[in-house]
Amino acid sequence: MGVTDWLEASALGVWTRESPSIWAYPTILTLHTIGLGMLAGANAVVDFRLLAFAPRLPLSSLLPLYRFMWSGLAINVVTGVVLFVAEATSKARQPVFFVKLTVIALALATTVKIRSSLLQDPAIEHSGTIPRRARQLALLSLLLWTAAITAGRLMAYLR
Amino acid sequence: MNVRQRLGAVASALAIGVLAVAPVSAHHSSAEAYDSSKSVEAQGTITRVLFKNPHSFVFLESTDAQGQKVEWQVELGAFSSMTRSGWTKEMLAPGMVVKVTGIPSRAPGSHGITNAKFAKQDGSPIGPSRSAQ
Repeated sequence: MGVTDWLEASALGVWTRESPSIWAYPTILTLHTIGLGMLAGANAVVDFRLLAFAPRLPLSSLLPLYRFMWSGLAINVVTGVVLFVAEATSKARQPVFFVKLTVIALALATTVKIRSSLLQDPAIEHSGTIPRRARQLALLSLLLWTAAITAGRLMAYLR
Repeated sequence: MNVRQRLGAVASALAIGVLAVAPVSAHHSSAEAYDSSKSVEAQGTITRVLFKNPHSFVFLESTDAQGQKVEWQVELGAFSSMTRSGWTKEMLAPGMVVKVTGIPSRAPGSHGITNAKFAKQDGSPIGPSRSAQ
């Protein structure tokens, strides 16, 4: 019996998959959507600011959004693990699931890079213009998070 | 490009990306995998029942016109929502002989059914008294 069989047969897997309660699968999936909204939504605010939307917002004022994003990420790591455990054997064989995980890793890298290299750069803050590389990174981040959401949604439709 | 044009371009690019996916993910319809313009009927013995989330499944063993064994896979809703509409695990159990009508899977050579209505051999309906599907 492989690891995924074991996960699927675990008490947590059985409960998530087989409980008729509205507080089991439906609630976990709803929390996963809320976490996604927090992470990708707040990230989009930062990206759009770098793409020159709302130019009067100081870049450093966006830093607290990262706490919000990491809370969303934490919710989604937990709910994501539970959703995976419930259907571990089929999810572990689904190519689009690994596409999703890869794209999320890349998207997170852009989100972290934007914080460390752009939002805290006094030169950018004082010049008032967003350098080209910053705009490119913001656009890449926006596209990667869009792709991550798309891949996640497609897990329901592709085998 | 000024700021407004650039934002317009970004928004358009995202909108195109979303629209490209929208027909598939607008809501979780069965239209992608099943053909609602057709109907299909099967009769057989229930071999396996998976009452689960996000979708439940019932497997039937039956025999086709050529005498070959066929396994039908009947896809139902989430166990959470089935329970709310009155389904219980006792209504569909392995060993029962049932008739199923529904819409067929689009996949060639497959034996999938959804939007299913179950009945006993004598034609009496199986399921909660009000329409559950």
